[in-house]
Amino acid sequence: MRPVVISGAGMIPFERRDEDSLIDMLSMAGLKAMDDAGFGERPVDALYVGNMASGLFNHQVSVASAVVDRLNLLPAAADRIENGPASGGSAVKNGFLAVASGYADAVLVIGGEKMREVIGPRATDIVACMTHPQAEYIYGVTLPAMAGMFAQVYMDKYGVTPEHLAMVSIKNQDNGILNPYAHIQMKITMEGILTHPQAHINNPVVADPLHLYDCCPVSDGAAAVLLTTQELAKELGRPIVEIAGVAQATDTHTLQERQDPTDLKAVTIASQKAFSMAGLEPSDIDVVELHDAFTILEIAESEHAGFFAKGEGAKAVEAGETQIGGSLPINTSGGLKARGHPVGATGVAQIVDLTWQLRGEAGERQVEDAANGFSLNFGGFGNNVLAFVLRRLS
Amino acid sequence: MDMEIEAYLRPPEAEMAPYPAKVITLATGKKLVVRQVDRDAVPTLLEAVMPTLQVERDFYDIVGARLYSELLGWYRYRVRDEFCLIGQIDGFLVGIVNSRMFSPDLGISLHTLAIERGMRIGAHLFAAKMEHHIEYLGQEEVLITAESPIGFRRWMIEYNLEKREGQHELGGATPFALTRDLYFRNKERLVAGERPVPPELMGIAEREIVVANEDDILEKILGARRREVQ
Amino acid sequence: MSTITAYKCVNCGQVMYPHHLRCLNCKGREFEEIEPKGKGVLKTYTIVNELPWGIDERGRILGVVEFENGVRALAMIKADKVKIGMKLVPGWEPVRVIGGVKTQGLVMRPAKHSG
Repeated sequence: MRPVVISGAGMIPFERRDEDSLIDMLSMAGLKAMDDAGFGERPVDALYVGNMASGLFNHQVSVASAVVDRLNLLPAAADRIENGPASGGSAVKNGFLAVASGYADAVLVIGGEKMREVIGPRATDIVACMTHPQAEYIYGVTLPAMAGMFAQVYMDKYGVTPEHLAMVSIKNQDNGILNPYAHIQMKITMEGILTHPQAHINNPVVADPLHLYDCCPVSDGAAAVLLTTQELAKELGRPIVEIAGVAQATDTHTLQERQDPTDLKAVTIASQKAFSMAGLEPSDIDVVELHDAFTILEIAESEHAGFFAKGEGAKAVEAGETQIGGSLPINTSGGLKARGHPVGATGVAQIVDLTWQLRGEAGERQVEDAANGFSLNFGGFGNNVLAFVLRRLS
Repeated sequence: MDMEIEAYLRPPEAEMAPYPAKVITLATGKKLVVRQVDRDAVPTLLEAVMPTLQVERDFYDIVGARLYSELLGWYRYRVRDEFCLIGQIDGFLVGIVNSRMFSPDLGISLHTLAIERGMRIGAHLFAAKMEHHIEYLGQEEVLITAESPIGFRRWMIEYNLEKREGQHELGGATPFALTRDLYFRNKERLVAGERPVPPELMGIAEREIVVANEDDILEKILGARRREVQ
Repeated sequence: MSTITAYKCVNCGQVMYPHHLRCLNCKGREFEEIEPKGKGVLKTYTIVNELPWGIDERGRILGVVEFENGVRALAMIKADKVKIGMKLVPGWEPVRVIGGVKTQGLVMRPAKHSG
């Protein structure tokens, strides 16, 4: 396999975007990544679009075919990649394989979703379609409900408290304020969401023990990266940020068939494989993007990915280690909680943010001397996970 | 003004107990002061409502238009037994709710307009309105409807409202009722606020109802931020 | 059908629900159809207030139960108090209307005498 470089990265602000169609958003993000690379009119060999549910949200399918035309990337190969909330990550993986294998020299990967076209309960239902039709969906299970059931046992086993979860939420919202692309730019306080006697009215239970501020918002948006060979990157004069490791792992579809419901096996396996491929360890990583669709997941993933021992992740949050200035900054972008979670966009947006960090282009969120980055894109409810290790070379 | 003619045109006025102001700590840590206002506040409130008439999104235009007419009607003594509560943060107007008493026992909820979004201001003000109907005006039941499907579904499920026969005076829509029983069952979960409001906060709120300019109001409602990036 | 159909691998005895074409343990392909036996122990649960389109009641309790013969399933829990480890008995009742049809599923209630 030959090295794969991220030559261009771009995204559009995540929020409710009534004026933009899905294809508009995907195309805008794609163009931003290409322009960031200074790619000009050079040919793109392939387009991958990560998107979970355009058929259900927007009544449109085959969106890669629409985007390749809208952007005039013709006659490039174009595919839509679907992997639930990890559609973006899977799209990046496919783009990576195309370049690494020698099959393509320049690949555009775009991730996006337009969820606000339907009202809240319908969006909840569409997302819930990921679950097992007979064993889960019929009960009205939602992704927050899956996370609630996970949190119930995880918090009990490892001593994670509601304060820990609130700290994650507060940290990510603080980071979001510094991120001009973030959906939510609002400071919240421990008093307002947890400690005030009436905080439960501001922060009601969504799926016990998870509250409103433990859950990411419903967003519209898109993000894109242009993946190229090292030679092409040099020609473009772009800083060399390499995808040094990429891996994917799966686990049982239903929650009840996980041997140990607190064990996110797919996260562990994917992370180990990605580190191994990159020849790096968790201790080499300077900046991390985790999939905090629910605050509990940021803590759990930080442990399963190998950054902290089980039970230590919450302590690290408490000690401020995962803040921007801490020993292991997690979700400097605001994470899914504040940056937002247009489902198909997230996996790509994580890579975009890490690219900015490793290039030194992260503005107020910059982690000093960030050289190695890690991201985790959590599909289903942890049953299909992608892990990426990024490395700055130049 | 010819008070003899006015006597024919003005509806009779019932005695309505006042709403004691309260303060709510929001998720952002900011303090929302919720208080009742008199007719003299209406010209100021109308300034805030006016921009919403041009916003189709989320039914702001019809809510705004109807609220505008209800506030103006109240101001000009042409609506019977209406009351209005407002929410302020540091003096800035962030939301308006209004209702009226149909009879000593029956209330009619009119409108809820949130100008700041994302802090559950609409939810807090709606709850305050219900608090006034049930706890301070002593009513048995409040009839509710809504123009926006999102808000309505939220209230219907949050409070478990009961469907009623007949027509709500807002366009003849199907009315749903909040009973005393439903209110008290859900109060702990939905109705926030501490009394009395600290004098300093109350002073700021009462001194002036600060209305943001039209551009800012539109930005707050539409959620579209002035961004350095596009 | 008045309960779920679970599967036991003929080769290694692994109990599974829902259906797989190959055993999760040994990749074997032959299964014995079994039903959940006895009471279900609550392994985890949640109380759901934000429900998907089509379900209007707040406070629905969902949980994973493990039956005495190893069958594990997600179910609706109907109980005033919920605690992990509590023993529940299965019922088969409407749990959701899908496409106009009342779909039935596992509904668990507290066993009268726990133990």
